[in-house]
Amino acid sequence: MTTSVLSAPQQHKTRDGLRQTYALSKRSTLEIFRQPALIAPSLIFPLFFAALGASSFGRTVGKVDGLKDVSSFLEFSLASTIAQGVLFGSTTGGTALATDIQNGFMDRLLASPSTRVGILIGRLAGGSVFGALQSIFFIIALYPFGVRIQGGIIAVLIMVLSGALIAMSLGGFMTAMALKTGSPEAVQGAFPLIFISLFFSSAFFPRESMSGAYKTIADYNPLSYLVEGLRVLTLQGLTTQSMAQALLIPVAIGVGSFALSLRQLSNRLAQL
Amino acid sequence: MLTLRAMRGLQRVPATFLPTLAMPIFQAVAFAGTYFAITKIPNFPTDRSINWFISLSGCMGGAFSGLGLGFAAIRDIENGFMDRLRMAPTPRAALLLGPLLSALARTFIVLSTVLVVGYFFGARPTQGLAGIAMFYLAGFGLAIVATGWGLGIAYRFRDMRGAALMQLTLFLVMFTSSAQAPMSMMQGWLLQVARVNPMTNILRLSRQGFLNPPVGGVSWENTWGGLLAIAVLGSLTICFAYRGLRKLER
Repeated sequence: MTTSVLSAPQQHKTRDGLRQTYALSKRSTLEIFRQPALIAPSLIFPLFFAALGASSFGRTVGKVDGLKDVSSFLEFSLASTIAQGVLFGSTTGGTALATDIQNGFMDRLLASPSTRVGILIGRLAGGSVFGALQSIFFIIALYPFGVRIQGGIIAVLIMVLSGALIAMSLGGFMTAMALKTGSPEAVQGAFPLIFISLFFSSAFFPRESMSGAYKTIADYNPLSYLVEGLRVLTLQGLTTQSMAQALLIPVAIGVGSFALSLRQLSNRLAQL
Repeated sequence: MLTLRAMRGLQRVPATFLPTLAMPIFQAVAFAGTYFAITKIPNFPTDRSINWFISLSGCMGGAFSGLGLGFAAIRDIENGFMDRLRMAPTPRAALLLGPLLSALARTFIVLSTVLVVGYFFGARPTQGLAGIAMFYLAGFGLAIVATGWGLGIAYRFRDMRGAALMQLTLFLVMFTSSAQAPMSMMQGWLLQVARVNPMTNILRLSRQGFLNPPVGGVSWENTWGGLLAIAVLGSLTICFAYRGLRKLER
């Protein structure tokens, strides 16, 4: 017979917390899918840029360092398409939270006996589910154009999970911004900062082909290693390192962004 | 007066102009760094990636300077200032000419900044002052086109929904041209679209002073297509804006 570590009231509290988190997660997930006009750009634009890149830089395949062993530029672009799409989508959750703050829903939520961590996880869960679905969407959308995942079904699952984790980790920054400013415009305004960080990485072209200060920045940018992990899964197959890069880097970024969000939530509570 | 008002707006609310200034600079630096290796492709018309991308940034800067006036027109419509302007005994042409001159002044600031920052990051004109003049000419031309387009949309939509449409169409036209890579490097659908896209001609006009001959070099062959595209698109979009203004009055 096993002895429960938690006392009965603690068990109730945990169960209530999980129930609240589930309800808030469901709300934020439904909220995203009820606004197709908001999510459509995050699905269409990355595909447009992938098609544009393949047509513009297709001839660099086999000629440029880092692209010499690649069979198609579109396959090379899948990882950046996922990262870019999830990044576009991550603003949606932050903007929705800022809207909740503006219209007073957040104040009512904070006045209720719901867990603070649950409020944050609930908000990020919607973006996370959407991030996973975006990854599936991009993999399926590019399949007819010859994009194949060399790592097989396990690699696909890792990429989908990675999409969810990237959405959660980047969504954390947007959540922190929403909590700090309470303004949807400010959250939208912060988007270019994250987009710039993706540009100063190896997301769109291999690091081996870069030089000078730009290469140094890309070398230090964790997003380079995250995208390269996804890229190895697509182009070469399953390796321990690529799996670790695809999963652990977003987790590490997520720990930082979640801590930042919690801090901003505490600051907001202190102001009430 | 309307031009001066728009220019004073830059000093009073610089936040509205900063993205127009910052985006082309970021684009020049980021694209040149990311796609540095494309200059290694045989027959690429320059060995400096910034020389290739600086013209795209200049054109983008000119176009967004023009669109900025479209955003300002939407704000004027929303806060009622446009109604007061229309009630005033002002020639209708002045309502278009004012923003147009302001767009050209903004474009001059953006193009000059892009050139200085580009020089700092390694851009070197290959055709001297004549090449730089072509860079400015293309930027000013696109500013006129974009001002007409922006005002036309603003007068029809009358709210910020129009802003998204202005930017989206501009991005689509810009990037489905030789914006990222020369025609000789392109393949598939983009090559077909870029061939008929007038933006390709405008970019050729802008780039001739930064590329090596035979693709570069200031020549009539590299100039006339861009001038024609600016003249046709400029006339069409200014007419579009004028008709929008008349609709607004009705």
